[in-house]
Amino acid sequence: MKKKIGLILILLVMLVTACSGQTPVQQASGELTHIRLPMGYIPNVQYAPFYTAVEKGFFTEVGIELEFDYSYETDGVALVGAEELHFSIVSGEQVPIARAEGLPIVYVLAWYEKYPIVVISRTEQNILNPEDLVGKRVALPGLFGANYVGLRALMGEVNIAESDLTLESVGFNQVEILAAGTSDAIVGYLANEPVQLSALGYDLNLILVADYLDLVSNGLITNEKTISENPDLVRRMVSASLKGIQYTVENPEEAFEFCKKYVEGLEDADLDVQMEVLLTSIELYQTDPYGYSQPEAWSTMQDVLIKMELMKKEINLDDAYTNEFSQ
Amino acid sequence: MINPWEIIKKIGFIFLSGLVALILWQSFTSLSDIPSFIFPTPFEVWEKFLSVTKDGSLLFHTLITLQEVLLGLTLGLSAAIITGYFLAKSRLVERVLSPYIVASQSIPIVAIAPLLVIWLGPGILSKILTSALIVFFPVLVNTIVGLRSVPKELYDLLKSLQANPWQRIFKLEIPAAMPVFLGGLRIGATLAVIGAVVGEFVGADKGLGFLVSVGRGLYDTSLVFVAVFTLVVLALGLYGSVVFLESRLLSWQKENNGQ
Repeated sequence: MKKKIGLILILLVMLVTACSGQTPVQQASGELTHIRLPMGYIPNVQYAPFYTAVEKGFFTEVGIELEFDYSYETDGVALVGAEELHFSIVSGEQVPIARAEGLPIVYVLAWYEKYPIVVISRTEQNILNPEDLVGKRVALPGLFGANYVGLRALMGEVNIAESDLTLESVGFNQVEILAAGTSDAIVGYLANEPVQLSALGYDLNLILVADYLDLVSNGLITNEKTISENPDLVRRMVSASLKGIQYTVENPEEAFEFCKKYVEGLEDADLDVQMEVLLTSIELYQTDPYGYSQPEAWSTMQDVLIKMELMKKEINLDDAYTNEFSQ
Repeated sequence: MINPWEIIKKIGFIFLSGLVALILWQSFTSLSDIPSFIFPTPFEVWEKFLSVTKDGSLLFHTLITLQEVLLGLTLGLSAAIITGYFLAKSRLVERVLSPYIVASQSIPIVAIAPLLVIWLGPGILSKILTSALIVFFPVLVNTIVGLRSVPKELYDLLKSLQANPWQRIFKLEIPAAMPVFLGGLRIGATLAVIGAVVGEFVGADKGLGFLVSVGRGLYDTSLVFVAVFTLVVLALGLYGSVVFLESRLLSWQKENNGQ
């Protein structure tokens, strides 16, 4: 009887030790480190570099087993900030906003160089410059996130106030809204809404935010704890991601083929349109050098966010990003 | 006769349980060292409440949501009562419409809310309709059940008294169906708040649902808590109003029961 109780106690102790000795999401699987990576959006060809890196074995080469997580961007940031996850893919503006609220996240790899937000209108609206937006109804997913920050940054560049135009929060329904003509213009991602609308036969005018100012765009974040306690993991994660990005730039057709395994329904979709989405994305990548964060873009981004009152105070930008792992 | 001590005891108990919950919350956040962007302390939430009350933004967004809820509730109730009456009265109408109405309930409201934004635009109308849609079914069911629960003998009695159809509705059916109908209204009133917030989540630039989205977007969890608590107060207020209405409208029932 005593033996049995002893055995149960040992098992209990082992169970408790096992539970407390690891984070809930990070487990060793053989020699591979399991990483759950929040992507911030639904499965999409725009994530080709990461699908490619998995399929080409770039992650397993560095001892990482990657699991894609398609939850909301803000959830990914919060989980990395709470040290529940090691990495997440986020849009650049999230980093200063989150750090100002005390989340110890650090941007370690610039995937995109150009901020991908674009103002889209049908040609008959004759909206060619940001100034032409005055008095217009502009639809966007909501008054937060990359779309809103990009639009406000663009307006700030040409001194247009939010009251000079009507912003309409429509959720992620911009394509339908522009097609229905209920708004004069929409805000979206260069590689997504314009490609879809063009495929539907609409003639469009585009105003790309990146043509007016440099802002920090999509990239990979981690947290301060991971950098200090496991810099090697960060280095491995960044290097495999960079290899995926580079391979996709050099072999877009092959990368597109890899996407078919991850993006449900891609086989049945208009493949030309989806390929165009990928090619347009690639044009926005940070390629010279790969992964490098531009300090000026961080400074501009912070100024924009403070002006928009999305940040109450300045943060030390040196803590918000590093090029240490991407170079 | 209501005993004033009973009321004081009741309020005291609610106050005490709230205080205990606050102490537990504060202890949990202080001892567990959880960052405030994950779980803020009651003090941080209180500070945020004061700040958004002072700048008027909480009142503004609350009034917007309240407007959507009340209009949605009115629309949903009206549609449910009219449809429910015809369904209760005609087996044929019930046979024809019921499968569609029941099937429509299997559609998650979050799935059609984006479509409502596309069809009706991003304004208040899509939120009112979302709210009305979610209110419709429980009120409809209770209206039907309420009307069908009217004893046949009472119909016979009114017939013998040569009552006209309007007298039958106002003197018999409405009072007799009222207890069950108000039960449905209790559920509908709280669901109306959920409907409006779902509509605001999909696409809005004002309202408490929008405030929750802003709080999440800015990692300002205290703001999320303030908005959520305000929604709870709003739902409780509506529920309390229905209970109050019930006590007034059904006072005859208590008198009849000799209470």
